[in-house]
Amino acid sequence: MGNPLEHFELHTLIPLRLFGLDISINQAVVMMWVVCAAVVLFFWVATRGSRLVPTRLQSVAEVGVEFLRGMIMENMGEAGMKLFPFIATLFFFILFSNLLGLVPGAYTITSQVMVNACLAFAVFLLSVIMGIVLHGTHYLSVFVPPGTPWWLTPIMIPVEIISQLARPVTLAVRLFANMTAGHTVMNVVLGLVLLGGVTLGWLPLGFTLALYLLELLVAFIQAYVFTVLATVYIGAAIRLH
Amino acid sequence: MPQFDLHYLSTLVFWSIVSFGILLFVLRRFAFPVILRMLEEREKKIRNDLDQAERLKLEAQLLLAQYEAKLKSIHDQARTILEAASKQALLQLEENEQRMEQEAQRMLAEARSEIQRDQLQAVREVRRAAVDLTLLAAEKVLSRSLTGADHRRLIDEAVQETARQTEP
Repeated sequence: MGNPLEHFELHTLIPLRLFGLDISINQAVVMMWVVCAAVVLFFWVATRGSRLVPTRLQSVAEVGVEFLRGMIMENMGEAGMKLFPFIATLFFFILFSNLLGLVPGAYTITSQVMVNACLAFAVFLLSVIMGIVLHGTHYLSVFVPPGTPWWLTPIMIPVEIISQLARPVTLAVRLFANMTAGHTVMNVVLGLVLLGGVTLGWLPLGFTLALYLLELLVAFIQAYVFTVLATVYIGAAIRLH
Repeated sequence: MPQFDLHYLSTLVFWSIVSFGILLFVLRRFAFPVILRMLEEREKKIRNDLDQAERLKLEAQLLLAQYEAKLKSIHDQARTILEAASKQALLQLEENEQRMEQEAQRMLAEARSEIQRDQLQAVREVRRAAVDLTLLAAEKVLSRSLTGADHRRLIDEAVQETARQTEP
């Protein structure tokens, strides 16, 4: 039985450098392109000749968009609709990454913590930018929640700074951990299938199927969780208390 | 864990930003506006349709009420006409009856008076005929043997007799 984490190893396919920066193509990068292409293809087919009485795929896309719009309205308010493209792209990018990662042999980009960190950092950056644009220097009051006694201020500021910084980290790590764990468990159980052979192998095989279905669910849930937390974080900056 | 291998850090970060950026650009440019517009359009259409349906319903109700009122007034009118007609007919009937009664009464009275007249006439004629006959008979029988006084007496007897016999 091989190393269950081997699946996550990257291998440079085409070495590439840009201004001394290593931008070599590996499976994860190829998969990003596949994911982007899949999302674009999905929306292209869904919105092709979009009509008032929607086609099936159009309905799916519309339900997704409507759902995200509701989420943004709820967590960020009307002002958040300016960020709709970002939030929606975030959701569909993560969702398709998770789902396409479940295709046997495909690479799961969201199991790369650095990729998630990029997305999470973008969310963090946006929340800070929105906060400063909308509230100016007043935005600094996030570090001192209302109702804090003055003498607690020296403690509250570092605590709040940590809490703000922890947000992108937890965002990235949560998605990474979920994806990695799910795929690792599936790998391990699939290894058991091979070990069990014909006589006993069907037992873990059934289990793998169940796990696969669970992972499908997790793919949706994690995309949702990442997006909803992103809207909550940015919404907090927009509303400021 | 292979994910913490920093060897691939720069390429992953670079391609994440580039891929996500391109995807964001493409979707923002081509996909989302179409879908959002479509959703808005449908929402507007549904709202409009609902409004229109509501309006039409109200209109229909109004029309129905109008028709019902009209129907009722027509019913009332019909009833008045019918009542008037039946009253008129009754009146006519009564009048006819009265006229016929009067007519009958008149005819009866006429007939009666005619009968009376005829009777009187007949009595008179019979009397006259009887006198004539008596005179004639008396003349023939008694012309030779009776005196003037006998004549008178006999004539009176005959007349009285005839009158008694022809009394109705």
